[in-house]
Amino acid sequence: MAKRFSAYPYVWRLPLLLWQGLFFVGPLLLMVAMSFWLVRNYRMTPDFVFDNWERMLGRGYFWDAYRVTFIRASIAASLASLIAFPASYALAFRVSETVRRWAIFFLIVPFFTSYLVRIYAWQVLLAETGPINSVIGFGGLGPFTMLNSGFGAMVGYMTLVLPLVIILQTFSLAAIDRNLIEAAWNLGARPRDTLFRVILPAAKVGLIIGAVFAFILSFGDFVSPFYLGGSRPPTLSILIIDTTKSGQQWPRAAVVAIMMIVTLFAAAFAAVGAAYRQRK
Amino acid sequence: MTDQDPLVRFAGVRKSYGTFEAVKGIDLDIGRGEFVAIMGPSGCGKTTTLRMLAGLEAPSAGDITLDGRVMNDVPAHERDTPLVWQSLALFPFLNVRENVEFGLKMRGVSKMDSHGRAMMWLERLGLKGFENRRIDQLSGGQRQRVALARSLVTEPQMLLLDEPLSALDAHLVIRMQGVLTRLQRELGITFVYVTHSQSEAFAMADRVVIMGQGEIAQIGKPKEIFRAPKTRFVAEFVGRNNILPGDKAGQEIVVAADRMQVSADQPDAAALPAEFLSEEFAGTSIICYFEGANGEELKAQVTEEELEALDPAPGQRFWLTWAPEASHVITV
Amino acid sequence: MKPSDLVFRVYLAAIFVFVFAPIVTSMIFSFNSDRFPTVPLGSFTTHWYQTAFSRPEVWTAFGNSLIIAVCAAALSTSLGFVTAYTDFRYGFRFKTAYLALALLPPTIPLVIMGLAMLAWLRQLGLSGTLTGIVIAHTVMGAPFAMAICRLRLQQMDSALEAAAWNLGASPWRAMRVVVIPFCLPALISAYCLTAAVSFDEFLVAWFVSGLNKTVPVMILEILQGNVDPQINAIGTVVFLTSMVLVIIAQLLILRKTAR
Repeated sequence: MAKRFSAYPYVWRLPLLLWQGLFFVGPLLLMVAMSFWLVRNYRMTPDFVFDNWERMLGRGYFWDAYRVTFIRASIAASLASLIAFPASYALAFRVSETVRRWAIFFLIVPFFTSYLVRIYAWQVLLAETGPINSVIGFGGLGPFTMLNSGFGAMVGYMTLVLPLVIILQTFSLAAIDRNLIEAAWNLGARPRDTLFRVILPAAKVGLIIGAVFAFILSFGDFVSPFYLGGSRPPTLSILIIDTTKSGQQWPRAAVVAIMMIVTLFAAAFAAVGAAYRQRK
Repeated sequence: MTDQDPLVRFAGVRKSYGTFEAVKGIDLDIGRGEFVAIMGPSGCGKTTTLRMLAGLEAPSAGDITLDGRVMNDVPAHERDTPLVWQSLALFPFLNVRENVEFGLKMRGVSKMDSHGRAMMWLERLGLKGFENRRIDQLSGGQRQRVALARSLVTEPQMLLLDEPLSALDAHLVIRMQGVLTRLQRELGITFVYVTHSQSEAFAMADRVVIMGQGEIAQIGKPKEIFRAPKTRFVAEFVGRNNILPGDKAGQEIVVAADRMQVSADQPDAAALPAEFLSEEFAGTSIICYFEGANGEELKAQVTEEELEALDPAPGQRFWLTWAPEASHVITV
Repeated sequence: MKPSDLVFRVYLAAIFVFVFAPIVTSMIFSFNSDRFPTVPLGSFTTHWYQTAFSRPEVWTAFGNSLIIAVCAAALSTSLGFVTAYTDFRYGFRFKTAYLALALLPPTIPLVIMGLAMLAWLRQLGLSGTLTGIVIAHTVMGAPFAMAICRLRLQQMDSALEAAAWNLGASPWRAMRVVVIPFCLPALISAYCLTAAVSFDEFLVAWFVSGLNKTVPVMILEILQGNVDPQINAIGTVVFLTSMVLVIIAQLLILRKTAR
């Protein structure tokens, strides 16, 4: 438009900067700073020391928690991707467009609602005296201990992550140019070949992104490991809450938080890099 | 061009985007009541020029004067330069009447007045009874006319049109051309019409401006440009022309295909030998393509009877001539 | 239908059963007379609903959740729209960084956001207040609002705004009279979705809230006690509220893509 100076573009550009700066970047930066503060007699004082870092990173339980969280998140990401794939494949290739739209419609609902309520429901369902064990009991088996274990935590992670992974996978599979697949058939590829040589490579980016999201969400999750996983061994998220609750040790919690963020960024970076790397 | 009081004057207008120069210095006068077509291939700068006139882009250099007033710093919404968009840009959340009234509403015209004026224009364009319809319930041609009514309801001095017919079917295009020409004559206002289509420009415009690569290549009445292209670019872009080496260095000769004669025997020493390549059906006549002695492509327009008489076969040798007054000299 | 199609459909059904089982069973057990959820079921009763909703703290919590959701959704939607419009209309240096800033919040684990928000709001004197939670939820909801508005703007003929200017509307007026009416379904959709996100969000609210409990926080605290079927009742109400909001949000944005 004409040259007269107008405030118009800036009215639109600035709110985000102000709000995010004030309420997103600010808190995170404070947290980073806090990790260098000193805690004496249960009171925090701004400072610049490495005590908290030494204490936290020097502790065995931190690295145990780190390992557990990392391994669990990796398993969750892989498991979710594998479990989701047949469903996504079906939605992308084997059902009508209408069914696909409605399926995604209904998968979005749990993604945005009541994670906590659903985990509570699982806590009830998976209990030793709960309905699932009752039903299995009719068949003469069990009862199985499903709670307070890695299995319980996994059920929780799947509850959190599966809808999203299915949606992401379905979109990337459905976006594959059908001509590629038909060309493969035309050249004599059997279904298995088509899957491994055409479909998976073509959808690689979307599949990896789905796995990355699953990893990120599982890595940071508190609810599942706490309510279904028995919180022993603790994950990093549980560690943060424990550390925060016990005697104002916010700086140490901040250390854990920073380690988590760094790990997540590195993982996301590496995964996306792998996703976009061109095959030779 | 007449110097008396043009409605629009472009003086040395340039427009660059970073290092890319979309418009490289144009000078153009547009008179009152004129139907001017700005024509050229895609990327020639014609749409940018129109947008600068409407105030949607600011010129990087030069002045645009409208009715004696320099408009460079006047924002788009303060100008009286309604534009008929290529995509029509009708507001989907308003019905037909509300769309047409929009410009009046922006000017604060009372509800009753704008209602009346909108209805008058809808009737004038044959859309009576459509006022409460939603845009997506209309056909392409109907939407066209709503767009026209919307731009004209404020009774501007000038109407800008950006390839408005490009999305229409061929038969609708012909009909709309008639509508536009009649409208322009009745209203007596200036139309500035941007298009890449020769047939549209030549059918409707009083004057045609040919643009290429950001510059004006030629301005003139349709017939002038058709019969006397000034440069090779114009000769290649407009009509079907043969461009032949001239008698002197730095000169070329243009002979239109319909002025090129084909004969089986050599009629005179100046005739060009050519091998027949193919023929192309063009409705009321046929275009014949030949390969000349130097490998250049030559074309000649013939009637059905002439084609039958010649009965050409690929590779067959013919002779091409033209009357001296049929050729036209251009400088390279 | 090929035999493999049948296998796929059964698999899909199983997945949906897994995803919706907790919700459905929770709803069923909320009407079940037995205190401990087992099979076979007891008799139908609304006893747990009556008990749960006779407690004043439940009503307070719902009230808090509602107020926060209404406010946070309004702020999220505004922020999201403003950012989406900036992305749609303008190109400028560092735009990629700008968009990253807008879209990053959902990638930060909630525990971390909770901790950071708690410390920050404490500095601002806002910890323990509803305002604090509204702020936190706005940060978390805005990216979703932005995505929805951006999707809708994508569908807008970019000439529509210019046509409004061309016909005499100043940029501000054009925004009021053309862009916002066009985006209205997306704005409502974004509002509903961010309200659902806020209504459900509990971790950050728990960190930040102190004594002013929202419903999820309250659930959390009850949970830390023992199995209590009142939670099913409360949870069902919570779930139905968010579900309705999310469904409305989707219907609004889907219907318009058909046009």
